[in-house]
Formats: sequence, structure tokens, C-alpha cells
Amino acid sequence: MSQPADQSLVERIRAGDGDAWSDLIGRYDSRLLAYVSCRLQNRSLAEDVVQETFIGLLNSLPNYDGRRPLENYLFSICSHKLTDALRREGRRPTVSISPANSAYSHWQLPANSERASSIARSDERRSIEEQSLRDALVEQLEHWRQRGDWKKIQCLELIIVRGWANKRAAEFLQLSQQQVATYKHEFVGRLCKSVRSQGLPEEVFPEMYLDDDPAEGVELSDG
Amino acid sequence: MDEHISLSDMEAFLDEALPHEQMAEIEAALRSEEELQLVLVETISRRDTGIHSLGEIWRRHRASCSSREELGSYLLAILPADQQAYIDFHLKTVGCRYCQANLEDLREAATAGEDTTRRRQRYFESSAGYLQR
Repeated sequence: MSQPADQSLVERIRAGDGDAWSDLIGRYDSRLLAYVSCRLQNRSLAEDVVQETFIGLLNSLPNYDGRRPLENYLFSICSHKLTDALRREGRRPTVSISPANSAYSHWQLPANSERASSIARSDERRSIEEQSLRDALVEQLEHWRQRGDWKKIQCLELIIVRGWANKRAAEFLQLSQQQVATYKHEFVGRLCKSVRSQGLPEEVFPEMYLDDDPAEGVELSDG
Repeated sequence: MDEHISLSDMEAFLDEALPHEQMAEIEAALRSEEELQLVLVETISRRDTGIHSLGEIWRRHRASCSSREELGSYLLAILPADQQAYIDFHLKTVGCRYCQANLEDLREAATAGEDTTRRRQRYFESSAGYLQR
């Protein structure tokens, strides 16, 4: 949920209030610049990206859903603008529409020819799934925060957000693998219950129902 | 250097959500590692078909991020020890870019000077024309 102060600012900006727009810039520009600057060594270029972010916000404001935190929305726009800037610098690849077996440079990756329409989701269904899981996630994490179960949050964050294997998470957090499995079981159980209670099919997030670790990472060579 | 890049990392890479050191590592690896290039293509394809993961949703909605007030308290080291340790973990081990940016902003807020004023003026002048009249 967006902060009340942000909601008020957005309403005033929608009405064309320049002072409100100036306030919003003052509230968010430094954190956006910090987010961008660590990736772009050029200060002027980083400021350009933030400038494009603010213009992007104004252009997309008619479609902005006020239930979404404004800061998250701004970071989302900023990440797209930053990606564009990195592409222009040749640091980020673009996916080519050429067939996979054609010659391609390292920065023109082959398009995947197996885009299965049978598993495609509509934007609406995707949005419903996402909101459902977000609510369940926030509820579970808040429950653990209130209880001071920080270790459980750390454990699930490593496994789900960073994609670490159970064993690696256990070693890092100095837990037994059995403890990690128990935490994961508790977490997944609550999320599954929430998914079912909202009438969503269980296959929506298959990773929740797997007993094994998430997909193993891709090993990098030393070179 | 982390010897593994997980599928979650590839999703975060696409969202500019990994710590900058890891973003640079993946960029470098993508130049030479064909297997990793294919993982990236598959990740993009999954997204194109509307498939999303729990990790993406967790990150996108910042489900475990601390509030700005909590980050301020973290800077002052006045939180309970276990919460202080958790935020440290979230910033340094998970490497949350959004919280790192907020923390840097909070650190520099006290020293905002002429450069900040000039920058904000520039942003305002370049964008105010897009306000609805």
C-alpha cells in the first residue's frame, strides 16, 4: 500500500500542482540516484537516468495504481531506464528475433523458439496470482517478524529470493538441513493454504510443491 | 566470487535487482558462457509467456524490506540486536539494491548541499512540462 503522504502528493500532481511535483522529486531523487550510480560510473549519465525516470513517472501517472507503493513503482521505472542506458553502453544483451541456430554476437542472444502458447497466462490471471502470493508472503513474513523469527526469514530469503540450495543455506546460517527443511515446509504449507483458499490452482507456483531444492545454479567457469 | 548463478539470480539480473558486483559478474559471464546465455533466453521466454516465480514476486513487492524508519534506526544502531543483524543480512548477503539505495540516501541526507539543489532544479525544469495543465 502506498504511503498516505505519497497518495496525497500523487493526487496533487495529477491535478497539475508544480509544488507537489517538486516535493516528490526532493523526496525520491537521492535514493534513485544511489540505485543507479552504483551501476554507472558516470555521474552525469546516472543523473540522466533519474531524470528519465521522473519523466516516465509523469507519463505513466494516469495508469498508476495507487495501491502500489510509489517507491516500488519508481524503482521499477528506474530499473527499465537503467537497463536501456546499459544497453546503449553495450553492457546488457538484447534478445534477437533471429532463429537460435543463426550466427549471433554475444550481445544478440538467440530467441527461444519454444514459446508455448498453451502455458501462456493472461495479464489478468497473472495479476491475480501475483496479488494472492504477495498477500500470503507479506502475512507470513510479518508473522515471523512479530515473533522475532529472523532466522526463518533469512533461511527462506536465501532459498527463494537468491535461489540457494538447502544445503548451502544451512551451512551459511549454521542450521541443520533438517531445520531448513522444517522452515521451508512451514512456509510452503502456509502459502499453499492461502493459494487454495483463494481458489487458485496449485500448479500456479510449482516450485512450492517440490520437495527438492530449487534448480541448481549454473556453474561459471573460472575464465 | 560466487561460483554459482541461480535461476533466481538471472531473474533478478533482468530486473536490475542484484548487488552491482554480481550484476557485473553476470554481464562478464554472459559475454563468454553460452550455457548462461541460454539460461537468460529461457528466463526471458518464461516471462514472455506469463510465468512468474515466487522469488520474483517476493523481490518485486519487497516483501522482506525494512521500512525507511527502520533503516534510519539501523544506521543509528538503536534496533534490537537480532533485528539489526537481520537488516545487515538483507543489505549485505541478500544484497537488496533498493534498501542499499535508501540507506545511502539516508546517510547523505545530512550533507545535502548545492549540488543536490542544482540536481533537483534540473529534474523539475526538465519534467514540469509533462504535468497536466
